[in-house]
Amino acid sequence: MKKTINSILRHLVLFLLAVVWLIPILWLFVTSFSGYKGINTSHFFPETWTLDNYAQLFLRSDSIVQYNRWFLNTLVIAIFTCLISTILVLMVSYTMSKLRFPGRKSLMSFSIILNMFPGVLSMIAIYFILKTFNLTNSHIGMIIVYSAGAGLGFLICKGFMDTISVSLSEAARLEGASEAKIFWKIIIPLSKPIIVYTVISSFLVPWGDFVFAKLMLNSGIATDWTVAIGLFNMLGKSMIAKYFSVFCAGGVVISVPISILFLIMQKFYVEGITGGSVKG
Amino acid sequence: MKKKVLATLLATAMTVGCLTGCGGGAAESPAAEAPAAEAPAAEEPAAEAPAADEAPEVEAPATAEEGTDPVANLIAATTGTVTLKVWASEEDQDLTNKLLDDFKAAYPDVTFDITLGAESESTAKDTVLTDVEAVADVYAFADDQINDLVNAGALQEVVANYTFDVVNENATGAVEAAAVDGKVYAYPMTADNGYFMFYDSSVFSESDVQSLEKMIEVADAAGKKIAMDISNGWYIYSFFQGAGLELKLNDDGLTNTCTWNGPGGTDVAQAILDLTASGVLVDMSDEDMATQIAEGNVVACVNGTWRAETAAEAWGDNYAATKLPTFKAGGKDCQMSSYSGYKLVGVNPHSANVGWAMLLAEFLTNEAAQTARFEARGLGPSNLAAASSDAVQANPAIAALAEQAAYATPQRVGGNFWSPAETLGQILASGNPDGTDLQELLDTTVEGITAPVE
Amino acid sequence: MKKALNAIGNYFKNIGIAFVKGDVWVKLSAVLMGAGYMARKQVINGIIMFLVEALFVVLCVGYAAPNLAKFGTLGTVQFEQVFDPLTMTSTVNDYDNSFLILLNSIIALFLIVVFILFWIANMKAVYRLQIRKENGEHINTFKEDVQSLFNEKFHITLLTLPAIGIILMNILPILVLVAVAFTNYDQQHMPPNSLFTWVGWSNFKNLFTDSVTVTFGYSFRKVLTWTLEWAVLATFTTYIGGILLAKFINNKKTKLPKMWRTLFIIAIAVPQFVTLLLVRNFFADSGIVNTFCTNIGLTDFLRNVGLVPSNLSYIPFLTNPGWAKVMIVIINIWVGIPYQMLIATGVLMNIPEDQIESARIDGANPFQIFVKITMPYMLFVTGPSLITDFVKNINNFNVIYLLTQDVYVTSDQLLANSNAKEIDLLVTWLFRLTNEYYNYKMASVIGIIVFIICAAFTLVTFTRTIKGDKEEEFQ
Repeated sequence: MKKTINSILRHLVLFLLAVVWLIPILWLFVTSFSGYKGINTSHFFPETWTLDNYAQLFLRSDSIVQYNRWFLNTLVIAIFTCLISTILVLMVSYTMSKLRFPGRKSLMSFSIILNMFPGVLSMIAIYFILKTFNLTNSHIGMIIVYSAGAGLGFLICKGFMDTISVSLSEAARLEGASEAKIFWKIIIPLSKPIIVYTVISSFLVPWGDFVFAKLMLNSGIATDWTVAIGLFNMLGKSMIAKYFSVFCAGGVVISVPISILFLIMQKFYVEGITGGSVKG
Repeated sequence: MKKKVLATLLATAMTVGCLTGCGGGAAESPAAEAPAAEAPAAEEPAAEAPAADEAPEVEAPATAEEGTDPVANLIAATTGTVTLKVWASEEDQDLTNKLLDDFKAAYPDVTFDITLGAESESTAKDTVLTDVEAVADVYAFADDQINDLVNAGALQEVVANYTFDVVNENATGAVEAAAVDGKVYAYPMTADNGYFMFYDSSVFSESDVQSLEKMIEVADAAGKKIAMDISNGWYIYSFFQGAGLELKLNDDGLTNTCTWNGPGGTDVAQAILDLTASGVLVDMSDEDMATQIAEGNVVACVNGTWRAETAAEAWGDNYAATKLPTFKAGGKDCQMSSYSGYKLVGVNPHSANVGWAMLLAEFLTNEAAQTARFEARGLGPSNLAAASSDAVQANPAIAALAEQAAYATPQRVGGNFWSPAETLGQILASGNPDGTDLQELLDTTVEGITAPVE
Repeated sequence: MKKALNAIGNYFKNIGIAFVKGDVWVKLSAVLMGAGYMARKQVINGIIMFLVEALFVVLCVGYAAPNLAKFGTLGTVQFEQVFDPLTMTSTVNDYDNSFLILLNSIIALFLIVVFILFWIANMKAVYRLQIRKENGEHINTFKEDVQSLFNEKFHITLLTLPAIGIILMNILPILVLVAVAFTNYDQQHMPPNSLFTWVGWSNFKNLFTDSVTVTFGYSFRKVLTWTLEWAVLATFTTYIGGILLAKFINNKKTKLPKMWRTLFIIAIAVPQFVTLLLVRNFFADSGIVNTFCTNIGLTDFLRNVGLVPSNLSYIPFLTNPGWAKVMIVIINIWVGIPYQMLIATGVLMNIPEDQIESARIDGANPFQIFVKITMPYMLFVTGPSLITDFVKNINNFNVIYLLTQDVYVTSDQLLANSNAKEIDLLVTWLFRLTNEYYNYKMASVIGIIVFIICAAFTLVTFTRTIKGDKEEEFQ
């Protein structure tokens, strides 16, 4: 008897917690179907239901809402960002993990400190550096912003590679394989989980960043924007009363692919963040 | 006049003709008018701006020097595509797109590549100052930003007009708002960026809205709220200025003079405390007001024409607007003052096609464009002819603004004003929770407002 | 430390040796960089060196020299523009842009330093070649040199590309930032229209002195205190919360653990900026939570207790300093716990079962087991990521900015005078200083200090992990 009550209590607590965690998400979801464009402050559920917000996103592009273009822009930026970032991260982590050369440890300390430098601080300088190369207001510029410094984020990946047994590469070396070949033929295939993690996490960066994007893509022309700027813009002072539910619809739409990727990634996320010391 | 004594500008002539002749209708085609420039250049010497001492010195209705016509010159000198970028606010996109098409049609011999971007007038400065060179060739902004924009070199001085006389065809206040140190830097687009009182006439009678105390009494009885963005320097100014205290920009164009902590200052602060103590007059941001009006909780608010649509929709036939009420400070009734605001269109001096950008800016702010803007969005024209139309005169919001105009002052204030004033509003609206001595509170605020700019 | 000094000493000693003992070709290499290689029949290497040197000379003359010449003053020619109303065109003078001079000079100085290092390396390499030749050892052909880049020098090949990216995106901007902290670059001195120039340490002095009008010192202390409080609170609440939730879900008595876990993960799979902006409106002064609280009488209750100011008809969730700080921490818990739960789940699954079992046999209660066994194990495995989280929270821009921007108005007048707010972290403060007030000089000073704080934390903790033997543990 006591056991049953305990069990009920336990699940009740979990249920309440889950409700707390999901209420805002539920609100996002239901508001995206609201017939009223502004913020509904007196009812949780919309009074009228409609698909119009989604229609406005996809079918009725105007000079402010260009959702299809934003989605495409972000997708292109994200694909290139994750390709370049992953390559850079792998290069650095392999070097730091498996190669021994003078100055390695100081280089590592140096890059870890450098990586602690918050990006917002150097934004303006980056803007003008890119402007010298005429790369502001261009998606190539955005890709550079998101991926060029990626090499600094090697720590998690290196931690994983540290766990790959050194005897494998030793054996290959004895057979006369070059370091390049060991990297390519032995380490990369064994690092699959951490590569998946790196790919997905760098893929997600452009979807969530609005600070850099807003600074770099400053033409004011909606077709240049990424999803994040577009959605952020919808909640501006003069827009919010007419676009809040459209914002919610946009939020729901990008959440779908991101959630799927995230669910795939979570397994590798755990392995990566604990330095590979956990084999889930 | 100046060394370039110019013949009467074709545009003055044409517009005069237009006013008398065609009754202010369709957009004139400047290109078509061009030849007229050579014609009788004598109609009337470009009139000095009225109130010559105060009015900004503008190198008059400019143009053609002895038979040469700059617009024709420009068209002749233009080879290839003219690329222009325009920024208009999100709400102004449709109308601006239409005007851009008209502009292209007006110069059929030139190929244009004009792109329209969205940038709210109220935040234009933030984007512009980050990188002046990246800014649109023609952009709209609110007049409070003009000092910063001119200091940053983001505005091309309006040294000459080509299609109409910007100075004389717009309201004096609007031209002054577009000028710094007597030089005009922008083209007035609307004259409605100030604030006044919206109210639901089913709750308040016309005599109720004369005094804020009375309004609070009535709203309290009805269980409703009156909203005002008190924690905002722009609005809290109305109390202090209304009580005769002073806030102004110094001659250096950067620092402020402020007497809010002078005699009577604490009375005003106490008045704000008393007014908000009841919880009927609430400090509320503009966005919240939009929802709260629609929800029916707010029955009167201090706001501007941009909320007219929301209010009219929510209150229907009971929608009304009037000047700001009086409030009691130190035992006497003071009429609340306000800022008179204007929206302006500026040209970026870094534009590769300054000439065309200036023509476009004129086109976006001429009488026809302002009339169209009023018809589409209910924005009050700064153009005298457009403003005098019956439709404009009948608009309640614009009428209220005109009523308030007697108590309004142009907005000229240095950047150090906003943060301290905002905080003063926040403290007073939340009932001075720390119980700071009011004189001390005002002293600190004034020190912040008048702080030197390095 | 001594080792480092020795290394530097040796470095320069080697160049000296190369100079003294090198033959004529080595000495010639100091001027014509390819010479030493040519003499040892490494023609391609020689040509490459010549080309590098030539490129450097061209860069020096065409790029570095004109910029560095103005580096001392950061430019003297003011922007001037004349508009001709007749032709409707404007002419601009040949003006100086202080920021571009600064930026280009730093790039130029950087290139010069890199070249000097390259030149030194070249001298040493050429001298080594001479010795090899004298000893009759094998001298690499070009092909062999290239191959070595994929073998013993593979690290150079792998690191070149990442290094270029990092220099461009991280190092150069930081150098620029440091330089700006010593100038008067602010809204009154913004290129291209005006010039700015060097002012020495005066910005730093402003940050550490107080006066009524210059309140940067006061604001800095306040903001720094809250930043550290926040970082500690945010890190530990989510960390502990995550472990507890993970334990709760993983407990054998909990049915359907996977489902529960997924429910919590859904909350973080929505992009953070979407949820945060949403939550901000959720808790707005006239938002839906407030409507609800008023309806159930909670607002009145809190007002009677004195937690809500008496003239408010709503709960100032994100607009009152006290409420806002609490809410921000709570919302951060909401955002952060699912992540920590994920990690904790992974780690907890690997806790050596036998230890817990034997503790249980010894009569330890669940709480004791948690404190004595679970937590130490968790801390051991997740220690480094905990520190990373702490530093990330110091720089947690998103949560603070998205929840309070345009909503929160400070009621501290001294903070207001330097554009800070009670809930600001150092990063959000400096973001606002640059983005809304264009006070780049002060933002740079604050930026440098944030950097120093973060670097100190990182150094203290990571040197242990890096220098320790943990790295080789699994190999």
